[in-house]
Amino acid sequence: MRRLVGLPLAALLALVLLIAGTAAAADTQIPLTIEKNQFQPSEVKVKANAPFVLVITNKNPKAAEFESKDLRVEKVVPAGKTVNVRIRALKPGTYAFFDDFNQQTTGRIVAE
Amino acid sequence: MGGPFVVTLREGFEAALILGIVYTYLQKIGAERQYHYVTRGGVLGVLASIALGVLVTVLSGPLLDLGPDVIGLGVIFVAVVVLTWHGYWMQQHARAVKGEVQRRIDEAQASHRLWIVGVLAFTGVFREGAETVLFLWGLMTQAASPSGWTSAAGAFLGLAMAATLGWGIFRSGRHISLQRFFAVTSVFLLFLAAGLFSTGVGRLEAMGFLPQTPTAWDTSFILDDHGFVGGFLNGLVGYRARPSVLEAGSYLFYLLVAGALLFGPRPSKPRSREPRGRIPAHAA
Repeated sequence: MRRLVGLPLAALLALVLLIAGTAAAADTQIPLTIEKNQFQPSEVKVKANAPFVLVITNKNPKAAEFESKDLRVEKVVPAGKTVNVRIRALKPGTYAFFDDFNQQTTGRIVAE
Repeated sequence: MGGPFVVTLREGFEAALILGIVYTYLQKIGAERQYHYVTRGGVLGVLASIALGVLVTVLSGPLLDLGPDVIGLGVIFVAVVVLTWHGYWMQQHARAVKGEVQRRIDEAQASHRLWIVGVLAFTGVFREGAETVLFLWGLMTQAASPSGWTSAAGAFLGLAMAATLGWGIFRSGRHISLQRFFAVTSVFLLFLAAGLFSTGVGRLEAMGFLPQTPTAWDTSFILDDHGFVGGFLNGLVGYRARPSVLEAGSYLFYLLVAGALLFGPRPSKPRSREPRGRIPAHAA
């Protein structure tokens, strides 16, 4: 059993280092705030075909989950915390996102 | 109240299904004494979920940015491996047990390492667990206000409902024949694992570790995978309203490969060796 647990753990560690390495690359940072159950701004404009980092700050008193089916991202943002979400280069278009813990809270990314 | 109810029901449903199935499975093979593997796995899953929930609220910086993603990915792929293994094993047994004969399979405990079902229970609970913990925690901090209270109550009702469904599976599963139970659940677990595998591949794709592929189809106008029905189908068989080509392809790939492994021709021990109608003494 120990071997079965150790192998995935080692793989995970390697993956963390890999992701940490790629995330360190200086991408454009785009702030996004969750406040009073709304995304600020609710429409995020980004350059198409260039990766960027969404810097999501949750100013609500409860946890939120930034989620986008279009982007295949699911990310918990605890109350009062800031989380960086790296988004890969997008083709021109509109990409919807929402707070999975409070689904009326929605927004979208417009890549152009 | 409705929203939180649906969220926790959805999050808890998969865990309840898996727990219901593995408990029934142990009961079917006459290994009730091994329930503790499942119970321990489930309890560890809950504890790990709480720990991760707390950790996430304490952490900040790169650990908060990447930690949960990496753990999430790890859990998904471990779950796929364990589900495949278990499904394969169950299918072998469904074949070995001929006719409607219910009997104890003593060899089961020897040939199938039963702690696997513990791992299955653990991943089933832990996969959506931390998220649920954070969701509930957020609701409870607001439970003082009347609307906050109904939200929190709704969320706990959702969990209770999920648990009831799991229990229902256990209760009704006991009356199904062993062979049918094995056959049905191994098909179900196959689809569940295919959905998980495709989700994991989709995450890797979003993170940039796999090439980006266009959207394969868009059925969100018919059945959104975040609605009530679509959400359940998503949890059950991995339904996606807007999958990428890679996600849809990996789903199909898994189904074909694991399906061939589970239901394809048996590589060794040809069936013809046993006369038809007779129950082999040592079928396992």
